[in-house]
Amino acid sequence: MKRIVALLLVLALVGGAVYGAPKSKVKIALIIESTVDDKGWGQAMHDAIAAVQKKYGSALVEYNYSEKMKPVDAGSAARQYASRGFDIIIAHGAQFKNLILELSEEFPKTTFAFGTNADIGPKNVFTYMPMSEETGYINGVIAGMVTKTGIIGVVGPVDAGDSARYNRGFWLGVKSVNPKAEIKVAHTGSFADYVKAAELAHTHIKANADVLTGAAQQATGALRAVAEYKDKPIWWLGQDTLQLTMPEGYKVIAAASYDYAAVVEAMIDKRQDGTLGGENIPLTFRNGGFIYKFNDSVGSVLTAAIRKAAEQAKADITAQKLKIDWQAVKY
Amino acid sequence: MSAGSFILNILILGVPFSVALLLAGLGETINQRAGVFNLGCEGIMAMGAFLAFLPPYFLADTPLAGSANLIGLLLAIGAGVLLGLLFALVVVTFRAPQGIAGIGLQMLGWGTAGTLFRKYVGGVTGVAGIAPLPIPGLSRIPILGPILFNHNPLVYLAFLLVPVFWYVLFKTPWGLKVRAVGTYPRAADSLGIPVARVRYQALAVGGAMAGLAGAYLSLAQAKMFADDLIAGRGFIAVALVYFGRWNPVGVLGGALLFSLAQSLQLSIQVAGIDFPYEFAVMLPYALVILVLALVRKSRMAGPAELGRPFDREQRV
Repeated sequence: MKRIVALLLVLALVGGAVYGAPKSKVKIALIIESTVDDKGWGQAMHDAIAAVQKKYGSALVEYNYSEKMKPVDAGSAARQYASRGFDIIIAHGAQFKNLILELSEEFPKTTFAFGTNADIGPKNVFTYMPMSEETGYINGVIAGMVTKTGIIGVVGPVDAGDSARYNRGFWLGVKSVNPKAEIKVAHTGSFADYVKAAELAHTHIKANADVLTGAAQQATGALRAVAEYKDKPIWWLGQDTLQLTMPEGYKVIAAASYDYAAVVEAMIDKRQDGTLGGENIPLTFRNGGFIYKFNDSVGSVLTAAIRKAAEQAKADITAQKLKIDWQAVKY
Repeated sequence: MSAGSFILNILILGVPFSVALLLAGLGETINQRAGVFNLGCEGIMAMGAFLAFLPPYFLADTPLAGSANLIGLLLAIGAGVLLGLLFALVVVTFRAPQGIAGIGLQMLGWGTAGTLFRKYVGGVTGVAGIAPLPIPGLSRIPILGPILFNHNPLVYLAFLLVPVFWYVLFKTPWGLKVRAVGTYPRAADSLGIPVARVRYQALAVGGAMAGLAGAYLSLAQAKMFADDLIAGRGFIAVALVYFGRWNPVGVLGGALLFSLAQSLQLSIQVAGIDFPYEFAVMLPYALVILVLALVRKSRMAGPAELGRPFDREQRV
């Protein structure tokens, strides 16, 4: 028994918190502006909640979701969920902030959550923030070692939130292994304009970039554009591991993704212990909030040296030996 | 990168970026010349993009794979015609307000495409799509070759359709009828021109072009489908018709101006020029608004009866 307790303590310290099954049934609702199968932002949260539900069973975790919710429509959906007795309502996107803050006063016994946001919310509102500079850094290390032209393109949505963290972490990762590399950061101004993301990717490639990366669901459009250069050594580093399984996956060297299960479990656990909100929950490698996968079938571009350097960076970040000062990056 | 390569890349990328706007804008020009503005263009494009995507997706490993893109294009055009006729039924026969009906059609197309995509395809995924077709000889001409002759076949088709639409609109009896029912339908009616039928025909043509524009996005440009693939391009196409003063050549100018500005702002960002990206992203839209504001009002006069339903029984 002592061994088990000791093991759990070690796991809690090294790998993040360990959560047990909910003490009583918990009802979770998700509200998203995209869809649960967008191979990006929306799907990451949906998959996490579904995984938690699968882990504990439908008898303990009830789950409903509403897709394609613009902030103006999301209010009625969230109000209905709250009125129907849902315990935790997650509005997945910073655009839902005002709505959630307003509803949290109307339904003080309901737990609300929105993200990505680093603010501390009211006492029944959790916020969550992926520390995406960590995944960006590792992708940057790979990009810096892979590039032959010395030009690397970033397809950003907007310069805010976790995307801004990712891009700056990526910049630092590239510079750590290849200080001479040029990193061209550009933004489409949209999270979901796949066509514009593809246009931006083509523009990067015309400007001699041979490694590209990008965040948000629009990144799928950019990856699709990269895949058009089928026989050319132009590569992609993903911010979602689902991109590895797409037909264009042969262009993806490696990809990271968010595992919101840690956030969802933390919220359930805290709520059942009487904390309805008022905290910011980060996603890090350390707490299991990130997954990182190499593409083993990508071929010779992923050398043993590159893999080793990326794994070392990940280990250093997880052990907090490597501090990523993303806010200092000006590009 | 040299200044020459910078400008050349803007031109090379700007041309294919303009095609969806151009195709939809040409169709919308016919609509509006007939007195009907179709804000549902966005929804028809969404349906066109979705239906065009299906054959290459489902027939990829079948003997029909070689014809899949063509089948997709035909499906998109067919769906566009049907939705155009549906819109005609609502605004021509039932005389519903065109603005509201257009928004309804936009939502219908967008929602239906998204729902069917979820049911029959699932998540976001890509297709091989339409490959580039460099024109032998011409594509090797320095500078002009890569700008004009190194694209997919739909790019050439779109640019060839500009003189065709101009000719049809200004040099054929049908074009005259279209312009007549958009300018003075009562006079056209008194001359025996069936106003409703001509407007139905114009909306069918406009729908076909919007469907084709959507197909271009999913088969030739993005080579994928997603719920928000169109992302407002249908509305931009409607605005470009005003910009182009209801003339196919003017619409071509508007589409090129918008897409070159888009290509310019992306290239500015990629070149690392110190310029706030928020302003860069706004550039194409700001430029179109600026040009619209600077064009003299007298030159902006559109079809006199644009947006007004025709009722031959109504006294004037």
